[in-house]
Amino acid sequence: MNDVLKTAKSCRHYAMCKIDFLDTGLCKSGAEKHYVSFYPQGRMDIYAALAENTIPVTEKCVEIAESCDLCGRCDYQCYFVTEMKPSVVMKALKEHVRLHLNNGGEVLTAEKDSILDELKEIVGDYWATSDRAVALTYSHDPCPIAGQRMPDYVIMPNSTTEISAVIKLLNSHKIPYAVRGNGSSVMGFVMSEGAVIDLGRMKAIDFDEKNWLVKVGPGVAAFDLQKAAVKRGLRVNVAEPAALVCANIMCSGIFSTFSASYGTAADNFIDAEFVGHDGEVFRLSDKSAPNLLGFKKEDSTIPGICTAAYIKLHPVTSDEGAVFVPFESLEPALDFTKECAMRRIGLAIGVLGGEYISTFLSPTKKLAAEVKDTFRDKLKIGYLVLVIGDKYALNSIKEMKYNYFDNRMIRILNLGLPSLTSAKWLNLLDELADGEPFSYLGLKHFTDLAEAALAPSPAKLVRDVDPELRPFFEKLYSKPEMTDPVWLNMFRIISSRMGREKHVVCLIIYLPIDNELITEINNEFKRIADSHGLKNDYGFITPLDDGKRCVFEYDYYLDHNDPDEKIKMQQALMEAGMMIERYSAETGAVTWIRYVFSQGFRRKESFLYSIAGVDECPK
Amino acid sequence: MPEIKTRDDEKYLLTGATGVLGSHIMAELLLKGKSVVIAGRPLGGESLKERVGKLLHWFGIKHLEGLLEIYETDFLKIRLGLGEDEYENLCSRRLSIIHCAADTSFSEKNRERVMKSNVESLTEILNFTLKSRTPCFHFVSTAYAAGTDNIECPEAPVNSAHFTNVYEESKACAENIVSKQCREGEVPYTIIRPSIVYGNSITGRSLKFNALYYPVRFLKHIRDIYLNDIKNNNGTKSTESGIYINDKGVLHLPIRIFIPNEGKINLIPVDYFTETILSIIEKPATETFYHITSNKPKSMVRLASYTERFLNITGIEIVIGTSDADEMRNPPEELFDHFIKAYRPYLSDKRVFMRKNTDRVTCRNLPPDLNYEIFQRCMTFAVLATG
Repeated sequence: MNDVLKTAKSCRHYAMCKIDFLDTGLCKSGAEKHYVSFYPQGRMDIYAALAENTIPVTEKCVEIAESCDLCGRCDYQCYFVTEMKPSVVMKALKEHVRLHLNNGGEVLTAEKDSILDELKEIVGDYWATSDRAVALTYSHDPCPIAGQRMPDYVIMPNSTTEISAVIKLLNSHKIPYAVRGNGSSVMGFVMSEGAVIDLGRMKAIDFDEKNWLVKVGPGVAAFDLQKAAVKRGLRVNVAEPAALVCANIMCSGIFSTFSASYGTAADNFIDAEFVGHDGEVFRLSDKSAPNLLGFKKEDSTIPGICTAAYIKLHPVTSDEGAVFVPFESLEPALDFTKECAMRRIGLAIGVLGGEYISTFLSPTKKLAAEVKDTFRDKLKIGYLVLVIGDKYALNSIKEMKYNYFDNRMIRILNLGLPSLTSAKWLNLLDELADGEPFSYLGLKHFTDLAEAALAPSPAKLVRDVDPELRPFFEKLYSKPEMTDPVWLNMFRIISSRMGREKHVVCLIIYLPIDNELITEINNEFKRIADSHGLKNDYGFITPLDDGKRCVFEYDYYLDHNDPDEKIKMQQALMEAGMMIERYSAETGAVTWIRYVFSQGFRRKESFLYSIAGVDECPK
Repeated sequence: MPEIKTRDDEKYLLTGATGVLGSHIMAELLLKGKSVVIAGRPLGGESLKERVGKLLHWFGIKHLEGLLEIYETDFLKIRLGLGEDEYENLCSRRLSIIHCAADTSFSEKNRERVMKSNVESLTEILNFTLKSRTPCFHFVSTAYAAGTDNIECPEAPVNSAHFTNVYEESKACAENIVSKQCREGEVPYTIIRPSIVYGNSITGRSLKFNALYYPVRFLKHIRDIYLNDIKNNNGTKSTESGIYINDKGVLHLPIRIFIPNEGKINLIPVDYFTETILSIIEKPATETFYHITSNKPKSMVRLASYTERFLNITGIEIVIGTSDADEMRNPPEELFDHFIKAYRPYLSDKRVFMRKNTDRVTCRNLPPDLNYEIFQRCMTFAVLATG
């Protein structure tokens, strides 16, 4: 496989090229045409399919190739996330199509199709298609347990009325459908051999600050909503930046480190509007509406299409900051986390492992690997607990006598990472600690010394970045928000890097903050992945409901183009699933996210707890 | 104090063989052709055999491995964690025991761990000692088990109720237990009390770079950080801290080292320690305490001048008294002060360790004076080894 094809096939489908997270501006054709096919992600898929001769050159294919102006924005965006430069694929796609046309190659046009005509009548001529190139870009994702499913139709409605009409039409023809946000869940949920309804055109955001809510259309991405909220001095609780907010609620319910105070699932919204499977519109708060707040432990399908959600707005104070409290091992990190949550200290709390910290902070894989080793071996930091809060919350942590990295220290550390990995003096910090690890962080002037030692600068941080992109990245890292943990946690643009080395499959469970139980399950996750030779690591833990429960993510990684790894992953996921079910049955307090999927509008209490004698244990 | 009769073919059971002192004792015994039984634990995925093997390599005596027997033990477990037969067999061999294993943490936060390791573990070790009717039990303690109540410290049981840290306290407690139980069990014993040990005065080599080495290693890194700042970053951070290169091209690094009084630091090289302890265990007198200490402790002023010369810096100032927390300090001074907190009592120690017993057994063989040449030799090795 040549490098261009390899790049094309390595697209993770995280949809990061569909949001303007680096202020470069969006891919022009994508922003205009909305189909994922016109974004770099779609072009990567199309080029790979053309190169491997699995689709013909179609009308849309020509339009998609020709609409790319080779501006190179995708290189900045994709490099930030995966260290890939997709513009080589964009060029190759244009070249492939140009040669095909020059050689008099056939361009496949869509066959006459009465259903398609009816769909076009509802949504407009341009917004329904059966073109194979477009269909391809909606047919797969890197999920190791989902195969490709080519839809007959891709439809992009622009209103609730249109959605309603589309559903009724599809029902009348008995055509199955899948509803798609940005597809960034990458779990194979948003594919169908019938129709895929892409809600990406419905991007309305309407604030009602008097009622502390914002009405969000189903095509609004988390990043864009947060940006709009922040402009008004407010905040929303959202997850991955490219995830569409409505779809995200529907899928798993939104959880983030802010869920420590803002909650999850039904805590995040005030109301929502749906188009049911019968095509009728209802509101969640309607007395006659289906009960989406309830929960049943079963694999479920979506109860309808969420066409708008009324999301809660949260106030932001001017004295917010963040600290990272270091721990050598997981247990004391959990104790501290539980204490903060129970005392309601902090807005956002997350117990992060070495993999996340190093990957999130480092602009390249190479640096991330070095940073991970340095944190573990030299600084003896196994886990960092992030706490975001106002000055009173952060002062409480100081009063609790914990040493931590504060905002300034985090900036120094981040921009000085390359010096940190080569610093010989780090061993001495640990040697001299004698029972008081990290005590140096409590000193008044240690930050100044660290600044002298690490000589942090955007130029230093990006010194290993591809030379062509380096000036851009240097400028990017000179922006204060790029090293501000509060901003980074609100917008979560660096968390997309967790799939940089390989595609990531997240294993997520809800359970009590019970050190023994968490340690056991953590070890089991590791044992299973290790036995299959899969890269794996602890992800994060965030307390929920005043520390009575938490959400725990463990991550398995795979090369989604490697059939062997795919099989290993399938086996590992099956074993991990059985392990979770076992703990669920034994403890009555462990819930696997598998059963929460498609029930994201339910109350968190319904899946975090069970009532003895009433509920199946656990729910 | 009757002298204990020893045999030329005497075998030793040694604990703490992977530590600094224990490893040197092991090497010296092997070089003298003695057979040594090592009792200890694996660590971090490395078996005891592997750990000891690395040490033999370091000492260049891998060829003497045949003189060793290795037993993985846990002193907190019944029969030292050994199987019944193995334990009985070891008991029957009447080995002389050198108990060197210890947790050397000074931190109060590690109290439980230190007491467990240095005191609680004695129960099974002494059970073994009594059962095996050992020719002699040698307990390697510390000169600082003497406590802080008396300036003059005789080679005698501890007569102090106050200690600088949990390590000293644990060793004093252990000495009392060893004395009492060995006396009651009629087992000959010695208590051996070294002061602070640094590297080999002749070769400069050392296995560990703590104690005397910490301040020098720390200042070397600080020097390099600010030299780099001056060279590559216009010295912005250096200027803020009053650090600069003087007209002689030497880095001026203003650091005040606060010590409580004008006392001195008692240091001995590891080669002297080894030579002396071998003299003691070859001709031990029961119920005897031995101070392996320096008769010429060094002042911090002298050590600071050695350090300045070695690192080619100026600005280290020894200040008698305590630092004011609110006083303006530069970052290196603050960090240095923070890290030497635990060592401060040893930097200006006024205690005098009598060494009558040691002088007798060594025919008054005194440790070499820590002059600049020895200091330089040891520090050069440390810098090369640790970077």
